[in-house]
Amino acid sequence: MKIAVQKENLAAYQHYLRLEECTHRFLSGRDYLRLTLPLLSPALVPESYLEVFETEFRYFEKWQKLYLTPSPELFMKRILAYVAHNCYYLGKSFRNSEPKSSLHSSEFTMLEYYRLGATYMDIATELLEYLKVLNGGKEELIYQGHKVHLGAWEKLSVDEAFVRYAGFAVGDVFDASKLQKKAQEKGYRTKGFSYEDLFTQIYAQEVESHLGANGHPTLIYDYPKEFAALAKLNEDGITAQRFEFYIGGIELGDCYSELTSASEQRARFEKEQKDRSLAGLISHPVDWGFVEALEYGLPECAGIAIGFDRLAMVFCDKTSIHDLRLVDIV
Amino acid sequence: MIFAWLILYNGAYMKTNAGNLKKGDFITHNAEVWQVVKSEFYSPGKGSAVMRTKIKNIVSGKNIDFTFKSQETIETLEVNSIEMQYLYKDGQFVYFMNNQDYQQYQLPLGLVGKMANYMKEGNAYYVYVHDEHPLNVRPSNSEKLLVTETEDAAKGDTVSGAKKSAIVETGATIMVPLFVKKGEVIAINPETGEYVERVKS
Repeated sequence: MKIAVQKENLAAYQHYLRLEECTHRFLSGRDYLRLTLPLLSPALVPESYLEVFETEFRYFEKWQKLYLTPSPELFMKRILAYVAHNCYYLGKSFRNSEPKSSLHSSEFTMLEYYRLGATYMDIATELLEYLKVLNGGKEELIYQGHKVHLGAWEKLSVDEAFVRYAGFAVGDVFDASKLQKKAQEKGYRTKGFSYEDLFTQIYAQEVESHLGANGHPTLIYDYPKEFAALAKLNEDGITAQRFEFYIGGIELGDCYSELTSASEQRARFEKEQKDRSLAGLISHPVDWGFVEALEYGLPECAGIAIGFDRLAMVFCDKTSIHDLRLVDIV
Repeated sequence: MIFAWLILYNGAYMKTNAGNLKKGDFITHNAEVWQVVKSEFYSPGKGSAVMRTKIKNIVSGKNIDFTFKSQETIETLEVNSIEMQYLYKDGQFVYFMNNQDYQQYQLPLGLVGKMANYMKEGNAYYVYVHDEHPLNVRPSNSEKLLVTETEDAAKGDTVSGAKKSAIVETGATIMVPLFVKKGEVIAINPETGEYVERVKS
């Protein structure tokens, strides 16, 4: 790896800076408190599907393991519980063990914001306004020669998406044995594949490329509860209040109605921590303070995490997040 | 059956994680040999990270989409690039000769793909070889070819980015900018068939 100055990206980088300014103005204007947050933390939320960067603070005999935060969530949930204010973070996050590609970078810019008293669908409504602001107030965005109308979402539930694009019968995607049978029929490998793995194969192969590719940004919502992470479940007990949004087949953000139950959060942490150790990932201290914040009382709220580099890439009409960087590690 | 070796091949191969697969690699999959055309890391919100790939069967030239878990073990073939002389092609195959031992080889036309449109008979190209069996041509960054036919652009036609068609010495037709003239040499990207630049001769 080496450091590269990419002079040819100057114009795109300047566009990126304007999008950042727009973001600060939009969110501050809607009563979101801007947060500057630590990047190093002594404990993290255990997440079985991502690897972290580990480092150390050293001062004589006092050594302390520290971890680059893969998400600002652990800090933001505390602000929500103890300060009870809408808030946002626009800054760096870090993920290890992901290869660099046009859509991935081990350090990237995350935009995350939470609104009190809101559900995931309230966030969706406001998000559409934000997208228009990023587009200079215009409803029509041209991305890679394709028109995307920002005036309305194409809303599609996960169930509908599997029916439309993968030929499933209604409800089958939530049934582990039916999903497995369908995957087998389609010629996918199923042996040794968990429900999550089977879902991901079909989602990645047959569904994702259609999302945000029909003239509107797509909001795909109500994921199986297995993909809930920190999201609240719907009344049906099988889906979680979570959406992702896409433009041009590119996943841009992930939103939840936030789980506020401390006991459920504790149980999920224990499971994730066990899965991390089974997967041979770096063993880091679990941030139990996060659970305590929930015990103290997390107000009803919804929040979204947006890959800001990807979002800016789309509004700069580029195909790689690295085309927006003036200095990059290549 | 010239390709019977594919199932019985004895050449060296290496094991790697699917997460390391990159465009151009040769792998074994369902007891056949495939070349990776596209490979993309995909990290879901939950469950294993995967590599979303497009792979090309080196016998039939057929592309399929396939998802590997990024941690699963894949066999990749150890290959050498050997310089060979391109002889000619027919409706089915592309023929090469190794100038060291005069051994001739053939590759399915569907496998070589667009590259076959821009190769000049008699020129040398690198061919990937595994266990003495040719796998595919190694695509060059650009092919420099003579324009044998194209109409002169009408004077005053200054629309920027406007294109016209041209025929190059291999017989392939490609789109070129209006200023390109018959008798000039141009560089073409043989993987996409796109015009790159005019070459000063």
